[in-house]
Amino acid sequence: MALPLPQGLVPTEVAFLCEMEMVTIVPRQRLESIPLLSGDTPALRPPHRAQMPLWLALLLKKQRRANIVPPAWLHPASLADIIHHETNVDPQAFSPPPPPPTRADGRGRARPFQDNIRSSREQPKPGDDPRLAPPFLPSPPAGYLPYHWLELAETLLAHAADDVPAAAEVRSLLRDLQEVRAAKMRGSTQSLEGGGGVVVLRGVGAMELAESRAFVLGVVDGVRKLGASAEATRREEEAIGGGGRYGGGAGGRGGNFEDSDEEMEF
Amino acid sequence: MSYYDLDAILTDAEKVPCKFELDVPDLGYLDNNPSQALKAQTPVSLPLWLAELLALSSRTQSSNPEDSAPFLTLEMPKALSNEVVSALKADPRAVALRDQTHNMYGLAARMLDLFEEPEMCAVLRRTFVTRAAETALHARKAGATDDVVRGEGFLSGLEEWERSLFRRAHDGNKACKEWMDGVKK
Repeated sequence: MALPLPQGLVPTEVAFLCEMEMVTIVPRQRLESIPLLSGDTPALRPPHRAQMPLWLALLLKKQRRANIVPPAWLHPASLADIIHHETNVDPQAFSPPPPPPTRADGRGRARPFQDNIRSSREQPKPGDDPRLAPPFLPSPPAGYLPYHWLELAETLLAHAADDVPAAAEVRSLLRDLQEVRAAKMRGSTQSLEGGGGVVVLRGVGAMELAESRAFVLGVVDGVRKLGASAEATRREEEAIGGGGRYGGGAGGRGGNFEDSDEEMEF
Repeated sequence: MSYYDLDAILTDAEKVPCKFELDVPDLGYLDNNPSQALKAQTPVSLPLWLAELLALSSRTQSSNPEDSAPFLTLEMPKALSNEVVSALKADPRAVALRDQTHNMYGLAARMLDLFEEPEMCAVLRRTFVTRAAETALHARKAGATDDVVRGEGFLSGLEEWERSLFRRAHDGNKACKEWMDGVKK
């Protein structure tokens, strides 16, 4: 009797969030900096590349005022590498997420990526964690998929296909990759069979999550319901086994565990 | 579980075989013999909600758990009989669960509450997980290709939990596909 909204984000919402991803563009015209809520955009001077949020880049692209430089991981060779990794190197898991972004600090060491404005001497204050979350991460190097890989690739191929080298090949590689990973997503629930198995979702993209969320949750919930009585018996035995040592406290604790299990339903 | 959950209500109405432990007057019609009392130990089928109550409550007033004698004894329904469980153990995908009962897993969860059957629990769990992966595959393929006929046998054998899984998986795929088709605009 609740709102008929699905849990989590639906694909269109994921795609909307993806529009905040930064892409590199090559402007064709000069454009002054635009003050936006998320900060000022860089001023565009034609031969110089600039970082733009995807939505703005697409707007400029549609107006023929800029070309989009496709990210490194969207190159056919990089995608083929990832597919090779998914199918041959590690057929069980998803390809790993990109390494945490780093940049050189000018003294020959790599430091965690921080906002360019922050000087290196300034101590990070608690509460403004400079660590970045997916839509604001810099584009990963070739061979790694970003969190929003599927949406970003689809959007770029739809609106800026002429900027993507070997667009047809990229498209077919993306289809392959999507199929491989969808099969893994289906297979990931198999690990629940023995009981206590956890579905490892490291490296899964946002769109894939939105696609399979309801199904995976349904499987986990079904397994939980089927095993509920066995689980209750096990807890009882534990409570009895521990009763000698902990006295009455163990039973009460068992009850608490059960409560939290119910709340965890979703 | 919601009060209005239709599947739960239907599961409650599943018939389970049971035997009364005592003669029951005026219930002879359950055994097609309305003129006489229902004899003890006559096999009858009662809905789960009633059978469960009668099997768990004691017919004497005393609160001493030792001499609690229930009204009737429950047995495993046919859908969870040894034959079905061994068939599931052999190949989960080959059994049409819907032919056994529409609420196979719901019933199983209820029966596992009443009976301690760790082995059956493990088999059902494996069945559920294996069939879920297969269901998801069919959900992805449904509508995309024309080979519906191939999966028809399997899909018509899905019981209610699996049907809802199918629907969830298919909805997810459909929403994703819809976005992908609309991204051009």
